[in-house]
Amino acid sequence: MEFSIYRFNPETDTLPKMQRFTLPDDQVEPGMMLLDALLLLKEQDDSLGFRRSCQHGVCGSDGMNINGMNGLACITPLADLEAPVTLRPFPGMPVIRDLIVDMGNFWDQYRKAEPWLVNDSPEPEVERKQSPEDRDQLDGLYECILCGCCSAACPSYWWNPDKFLGPAALLQAARFIQDSRDEATDHRLAELDDAWKLYRCHTIMNCTQVCPKGLNPSRAISDIRRTMLKKSL
Amino acid sequence: MRLLSGQRAWLLQRLTAVYIGLWLILALGYFIFAPPVDHATWQATVGHPLVGLLTALFVLALLLHAWIGLRDVVMDYVHPPGTRLAVLSVSAGALILLGLWALFILIRAGLS
Repeated sequence: MEFSIYRFNPETDTLPKMQRFTLPDDQVEPGMMLLDALLLLKEQDDSLGFRRSCQHGVCGSDGMNINGMNGLACITPLADLEAPVTLRPFPGMPVIRDLIVDMGNFWDQYRKAEPWLVNDSPEPEVERKQSPEDRDQLDGLYECILCGCCSAACPSYWWNPDKFLGPAALLQAARFIQDSRDEATDHRLAELDDAWKLYRCHTIMNCTQVCPKGLNPSRAISDIRRTMLKKSL
Repeated sequence: MRLLSGQRAWLLQRLTAVYIGLWLILALGYFIFAPPVDHATWQATVGHPLVGLLTALFVLALLLHAWIGLRDVVMDYVHPPGTRLAVLSVSAGALILLGLWALFILIRAGLS
């Protein structure tokens, strides 16, 4: 099976290049994931750089651009991919080396969403309780693994990564706005009400299309807008 | 900028779109089902206070809608602050001129 992989070594290269790799057919096994193939290719050329950790779609380390679509190598079946499999780093993010990108800005934007529970009421003896219905509101929001596939697929994030929070951070903002235990809803909504942080989203919906966990950041963003509208009426 | 920013701009863009859509349907209906037979009828229609008011609101809605849309495009694509300011100023100037021109036409039609 043929692969075409983006290579860039900042110590020796001035420009990136695409390198061809071949995985012999006898090494391709049924049920194999793309990450398994990458690990075998790394045995051919150990200078090939990519991130990976849990190998089960939980840690979110091995996000990359696979045949034009962002996804996680560890849960992308090799059999579903058309050869030559073209692998590039996340678009719009600075490349550190090969498929490894600098996600510093992504984390900065995540921090701006204040992804923690704000509750200044006296702490109850056991726990802050939530009705099952209120808990259901968090479904589809809390499962995010912060792999960055969505933000790296969003044109608005490519254009203004420093000002637009991006779908991943906004999904987290929605997660805390929806949380019945959180007391900072007004503050959260006021923070998002400017021309940049939330409203650069033009509902392009690439985020929802690529999310490897099947989440819907686009709907979360609409929900924030709706909550904002209800609060302002 | 705060006046037309964030949620307010987003909401206004949608409300103006609805009004523009309704006005266009009305205008299209008029031209299809009761087109003016001569210039005098046309002038009488345009000069009618209600038509003038609805059309003035249409022009206002169109200009606001266009401003928010243009501003969005400029914010997305034009990044150097000087160039951004220049493009926004020219856009705002052009829209204001268009608005004044439309107002002038409507007032003249109302007076004739």
